[in-house]
Amino acid sequence: MNSDMSLLSVFETLSNWAPVVFIRDSKYGMPGVQSVHLTGLTVLLATVLVLDLRLAGLGMKEYELSWLARQLKPWTLGALTVVISSGLLIFLGTPEKYVASDPFRFKMALLCLAVLFHFNVLRRFTAAGSAARPRTVNVIVACLSLAFWFGVGWAGRAIAFVP
Amino acid sequence: MSLFEWCQWLQHTHFATAIAESDWLFPLIEGSHILALPLSVGMVVIIDLRLLGIAFCGGPGTNFVRNLMRWSSIGFAVMFLTGGLLLITQAGKAYGNAFFRSKLLFLLLLGINAAAYQKLFYPRMAQWDSAGGAPAGAKFCAAFSLVLWIGVIVCGRTMAYEF
Repeated sequence: MNSDMSLLSVFETLSNWAPVVFIRDSKYGMPGVQSVHLTGLTVLLATVLVLDLRLAGLGMKEYELSWLARQLKPWTLGALTVVISSGLLIFLGTPEKYVASDPFRFKMALLCLAVLFHFNVLRRFTAAGSAARPRTVNVIVACLSLAFWFGVGWAGRAIAFVP
Repeated sequence: MSLFEWCQWLQHTHFATAIAESDWLFPLIEGSHILALPLSVGMVVIIDLRLLGIAFCGGPGTNFVRNLMRWSSIGFAVMFLTGGLLLITQAGKAYGNAFFRSKLLFLLLLGINAAAYQKLFYPRMAQWDSAGGAPAGAKFCAAFSLVLWIGVIVCGRTMAYEF
């Protein structure tokens, strides 16, 4: 048995777990979890947007970048937790559908990149006492961050539309 | 012609069917509608959290609201444009849908709530904000906004399951 197949059997076992079955089979289970996923996405990407727009110099200039970063961090982490846990429940509803979906695989790869970029590169660019950088560099970093995070969102939409 | 008949007529116009049957136009409009959530609703959530004294406190409050609302207005422009187009393609189905009707009602109430905040509390925000926090009425507006925006997301996501 190769590792892909054993992973799939783990997902299949988990997809028969009572809470997952309840969500899958009840009328408003899936729309409910999807709504939580979307609410989490709204808060997560809003915190990213505020930080990136400030980094790019498009407003909020009265507020220190490092202060904003510190204030936003718990909300980014909290919303990321909500999005990942609700996403896991959606995934376990029909794991075989997602495992076979190219946009889903792309979404997961992009999510890893977005998280790595956020907590390494962006964290350095928004840290207190970081040296002043040319605006062009800041704008490029902000654009990359937005491209990664919103790319995750678009890949998520593509799961529904790409056969 | 009743409103329902008009909705059905609208859904079957050449313009509406061209969007609905396009391989890429409908996904593009729907994706934009969902991914404009952080820029529109997300910014409002951040403002609400500050008014409630939960997060992002410190620094001048009127600037905070003005900056975020400027970005947010772009998000809401995208929302109403894409939402209007989506509605045209599904007007007949949306007409009698309880979740769609609830969403419209919530949006109407949110509009009234935002206008009330703008008229009653925003003009003197600089004073009460620096004096240590929002008056009870402003906090009520913020809490009302948070709850109803989540309601809009839930209704918007759930109505699509019924089409």
